[in-house]
Amino acid sequence: VADELGSWARRRAPELLARAEAEAVAALRDALIDAALSQRSGDAPVRPTRRSTPRDARPAADAPTGEALWAYCVVRAGEPLPPDASAIADNGRLERVDAGDLAALVSRVPLAEFGAEPLRENLNDLAWLERVARAHEAVLDGAIRQSTIVPLRLCTIYESEQSVREMLEREHDALARALDVLAGRQEWGVKLLVDEEQLAEHARSRSTETAALEEELGARTGGGAYMLRRRLERHVRETVDALGAELADDVHSQLADLASGTVVLAPQNPELSGHEGRMLLNGAYLVDAERVEQMHELVAELEQRHRELGAQLVLTGPWPPYNFVPGGGTAALA
Amino acid sequence: MPIRPSGGLPGRPAEQTNLADILERVLDKGIVIAGDIQINLLEVELLTIKLRLLIASVDRAREMGINWWESDSSLQSVGPGDDSERGQLEQQNRELRERLERLERQLGVGNDDSPEESSAKGTSASGG
Repeated sequence: VADELGSWARRRAPELLARAEAEAVAALRDALIDAALSQRSGDAPVRPTRRSTPRDARPAADAPTGEALWAYCVVRAGEPLPPDASAIADNGRLERVDAGDLAALVSRVPLAEFGAEPLRENLNDLAWLERVARAHEAVLDGAIRQSTIVPLRLCTIYESEQSVREMLEREHDALARALDVLAGRQEWGVKLLVDEEQLAEHARSRSTETAALEEELGARTGGGAYMLRRRLERHVRETVDALGAELADDVHSQLADLASGTVVLAPQNPELSGHEGRMLLNGAYLVDAERVEQMHELVAELEQRHRELGAQLVLTGPWPPYNFVPGGGTAALA
Repeated sequence: MPIRPSGGLPGRPAEQTNLADILERVLDKGIVIAGDIQINLLEVELLTIKLRLLIASVDRAREMGINWWESDSSLQSVGPGDDSERGQLEQQNRELRERLERLERQLGVGNDDSPEESSAKGTSASGG
């Protein structure tokens, strides 16, 4: 019996494992999503509150003392500091650390909050993260109004000015190249939102098969009706998805024609973004400064063109060029 | 806090930049240069996963079969010393084993496309 079972298992194992793994991954994914969402439940949609039960809070006695330098972005040496920008830490102020023809914008942060250990704790606190992320973004927003910048990822922290200078020297060529590429260009975000019902209605009106299926369904009862209803539901879903994809393609490709770079981001969760309707496209576009106005006109025109679907194009920007740093994203320079 | 008007489009109220817009950029994008403060990457990656799930429209993603977090290397990176990640792996492992047993049982009663294996299946059903 064991041999038979063994040989059967060997024959079937790869397929079974693949199927089981796919199912398990789906289950795990759902569990992760549920866990992540339930952690947020009860929070305000846009401005979340501190979690009520911080996990194994570290005693304050462990907290290191002293300061470190939080780096925001890299600019050409000699660029002025952005006015009115408040630094990450409460009493911090922006400073510029020059090294050759490059400089980094930095501010001092207490190690008690930004040392490796407390940072790990704090990063898991969404309220803390939001405050820091908004402060980081605010400094970069000020900086892009007057300079070309290379934005640094959140939590790029150095022990000393010397250490910042060494980074600028070590990464000089890549940073200088990035500054050249990004000069005179702006990152803009465009989201395409549609009203679910209007999209579905429009998809229905385009599909003769939907009407035929609906008519047929009216004449059926019992198990046949059940199967047909399932088929109809699937057909409607597919038609709506196809129409949505078509719409997103149209909007994206026209924006892409105007842009010198594009990145399509994952659609956002309405719980965090607060948006209504279905997000069909969440794109980032790198646009030459002199074409920005043209881009705004195009966005308005595209919104008008797809108004019958309840389409809304949400334009945001200019952003620090997070999505367009050569070697950014997942690739590390170091 | 800077106002980020929805530029150019008339009649749309200017509002505070939404957190999703910021997080999807500051956490995930921008140049990555090693700093002096070394953060436990596993934990940060875990955080990133959680946030990505928050940022992505999960309901639509599920329906549309978008599964970027499955192929994301940060989700698949495995290392010792992280309880929550190990817990997830153990859970995944447990689920895999349960699913495998269930599949074997299903095949055992012959609802699949493998009639030639009926003799083996008879002995494997619920045999554990």
